Amino acid sequence: MPPLGHLHMEHVLQAVGVLEAVILRSFGPEGGQVLFTRDTGQVLLSRSGTRILTALHLEHPFARMVVECVWKHSSATGDGSKTFILLLASLLRLIHAAASKGSNVSHSYSSTKAAEAATARHLADKLLAFGLKELDELIATGVVPYGGCISWEDFTVEAQTSSLTNNLCVQKLLRSFFHTRCGYTHCDFSSHLTCELLSHWNFKNQLPSFSLQLVSDYFPALHTPVSGFPVRSSRLIEGQVIHRDFATPPLKTDHQPVKAVVLTGSLQPTLLSTGDVLELGYRGRMKEERSILHFSSWMESSLQGVIAKLQTLGVCVLLSAVKQSAAVLALATQAEMCLVECVSEDELSLFSQLSGTTPIWDCSMIESEHVATLAFCRPIQLGAHRYKKHTSITIKPCSLIICAPGEGQIEQYACALQDAIRMLLRTWEPMLAAATTTSKSTLQSHKGASLHTDSLTEQTPYRSIAIQPIQKPGCVLSAGGLFELLLHYALLQHGHSCSVSPDLNIDASVSQLLANALLSVPQKIYSHSPKFPNDSHPFSLGDKLSKVSELDLGLESVSCKYQLLLAVLQCVASLLKVDAVLPTHTALHTQSRRLARTSWEDTEDEGEG
Amino acid sequence: MALNGDEEDFKWEPPTEAEMKVIQARRERQDKISKLMGDYLLKGYKMLGEACEVCGTILLQDKQQKNYCVSCQELDSDIDKDNPALNAQAALSQVRERQLAAQSPAPSQAPELNDSPSSSQENMSVPQPRPEHCEGAAAGGRTPLPPPAVPPPSTPASTAALAPARPSVTPQSSAQRLVLQEAEEAVLTKLRWATNQLQSSASLEASIQLCSLINSCANSLRSLKELTQ
Repeated sequence: MPPLGHLHMEHVLQAVGVLEAVILRSFGPEGGQVLFTRDTGQVLLSRSGTRILTALHLEHPFARMVVECVWKHSSATGDGSKTFILLLASLLRLIHAAASKGSNVSHSYSSTKAAEAATARHLADKLLAFGLKELDELIATGVVPYGGCISWEDFTVEAQTSSLTNNLCVQKLLRSFFHTRCGYTHCDFSSHLTCELLSHWNFKNQLPSFSLQLVSDYFPALHTPVSGFPVRSSRLIEGQVIHRDFATPPLKTDHQPVKAVVLTGSLQPTLLSTGDVLELGYRGRMKEERSILHFSSWMESSLQGVIAKLQTLGVCVLLSAVKQSAAVLALATQAEMCLVECVSEDELSLFSQLSGTTPIWDCSMIESEHVATLAFCRPIQLGAHRYKKHTSITIKPCSLIICAPGEGQIEQYACALQDAIRMLLRTWEPMLAAATTTSKSTLQSHKGASLHTDSLTEQTPYRSIAIQPIQKPGCVLSAGGLFELLLHYALLQHGHSCSVSPDLNIDASVSQLLANALLSVPQKIYSHSPKFPNDSHPFSLGDKLSKVSELDLGLESVSCKYQLLLAVLQCVASLLKVDAVLPTHTALHTQSRRLARTSWEDTEDEGEG
Repeated sequence: MALNGDEEDFKWEPPTEAEMKVIQARRERQDKISKLMGDYLLKGYKMLGEACEVCGTILLQDKQQKNYCVSCQELDSDIDKDNPALNAQAALSQVRERQLAAQSPAPSQAPELNDSPSSSQENMSVPQPRPEHCEGAAAGGRTPLPPPAVPPPSTPASTAALAPARPSVTPQSSAQRLVLQEAEEAVLTKLRWATNQLQSSASLEASIQLCSLINSCANSLRSLKELTQ
């Protein structure tokens, strides 16, 4: 690529325009699904913008930058990736138009194109500054009054039986989310299931964001995909499911309570590794009958000592992160202990979190604090696989079983559920991304009966650093472009009031630009609906609002939308800040690429990189 | 121009209607390009970090590592309709223009007429889409353009192959024969290339496309042979 200058805006516009064309057909309540097929016959079905974009082969630097921004935004809020691209494209087009108009009056640039690029960059920076400073106030005054607040306590209330005005409840919010993500058929069922899951994981005296964060972080360990069953067979079961079968015969007597230990290392110490040479016999003396058998029997006796110690502590279940040797298996069977090998890290960390114990590496140092108490531990058959299920005494966890006819659909539902929980988290914790990472670290530092209010006091000092939002948590609005329309009018009014005073003239043009860019979203939503006329018609705000509420597309979260706008403005500013693109022929992009790509494309990456 | 912008009071004027039409047409073309590229991306093509040298569009690469430019190879170019080498109408209008201009120096009319299209042909061989840069699947479905109907006897327009300049004073039949020969050569080259590709191809879809290319090359050879007879 030539060093930029006049080609910059055109290239950026073209790259973003292509991405827009890709996701446009899946956008909106009547958007279609994309079916990806591999040469091996594997099928991926998706309507999620992130999924579609990360599955494309992109080597163009701007396109990859945009897809990475979308991916990061989606992992923070769980939704809005297609809207992101639409807003980005329309904002870039308007900036380009404004820059080419205004570049004639610029000074000291060698060419009009360079002047254009500089104007565009300047505009983008002003937009970002405006977004960070004044946008949330505008939203609070111009948009929030038209919506409502969902309270966390009501989230188990059914939508039909709700006595609240406007039918505001979490189920409705979730239903519209699942409608856009998975289709109309199962949206009710899925939202009901998610609410059930969240009600089980709800802890008293905790903020809703705490349990949402917990479920969101441990979601891979909390759900079990089972293919071959209809979607309606999905349900919740009591206990945590470990996705491995017992390596030794399971417990015969179901006596309670069951004690368990988590091992991260092998019980049998590896004294020898490949390449080592073991010398048997005495030094300088005649070699007696020393053979390898003596050595291995010495090892076994040390192992027996470890097992005996476990028995004295009353341990019956061993959860191991690694594969144990055959000697360990034999001795454990003899001692009537059951062993589960190769348990994944997520599940082990959830187990430690729930039981309040820490895993051990060196088995000679087992103490009673490493021993967890379980209420039950038994095998469970789900679909074609046998797993192990247990629960702890203090906290009763529950796991989700997701059923779907095919693998592609299971993945779709599981991703949709995870994104729904992230979206709810963002609704109740409308913080900027910097503050949320601190809440994760406080979770991991828990020990003992970890779920009490100490976590709140640990979090509050971090919160004061982040920007305080004005809107209340749980704020929602009718879906279907209402947010964009309301904000459009609020921005226009702000622009008019700013243009009165000469100092704030800059703000007026910026808010005008943003207002026009926002209109592209409802335009695209209603472009194929005959009921809603084109925006060129001089309809008043009231008419448009009534049309939107007629269609009743459900609810959407205000803080997610605000987050989306800020992310788009940041992406625009960083795209236009690029001065030169240097082509390299080595794989510099390994880490982010692997993050951005799904496992779908992993094998091909290794070939290309 | 911009250096003087400091001193002059340059007022921005809204574009005139003609300019608006041009802007509108360009925007529609860009939208079409984006849509086509989006479709190709969803089919599994890769978006490269390079742009086409001819038109500046981002290049795509298919699974056979062939680069492909959407605007050059699928959409009709903006300027192609004005290109006398590719469009008979444009050639006619250009000849008429030259006739009007050359009417005063009367004796040199005939050779001038003959010389000017050949020189324009030389000039026009540059902006033609170059096969070695932008080859792709679309080329497989297309037969090379048959030699267009020759409106004035002294303007041998070129086919899709690289067009060397030839003196055009010869009568129609030999000019036509020359053109047909060139066309045959071009088709045979493509046929040879396709056969080589087919031998080394590993993908099913590529083989099917190559076979259809060979089929259309054979058809065009047949029609060229009919023309020479």
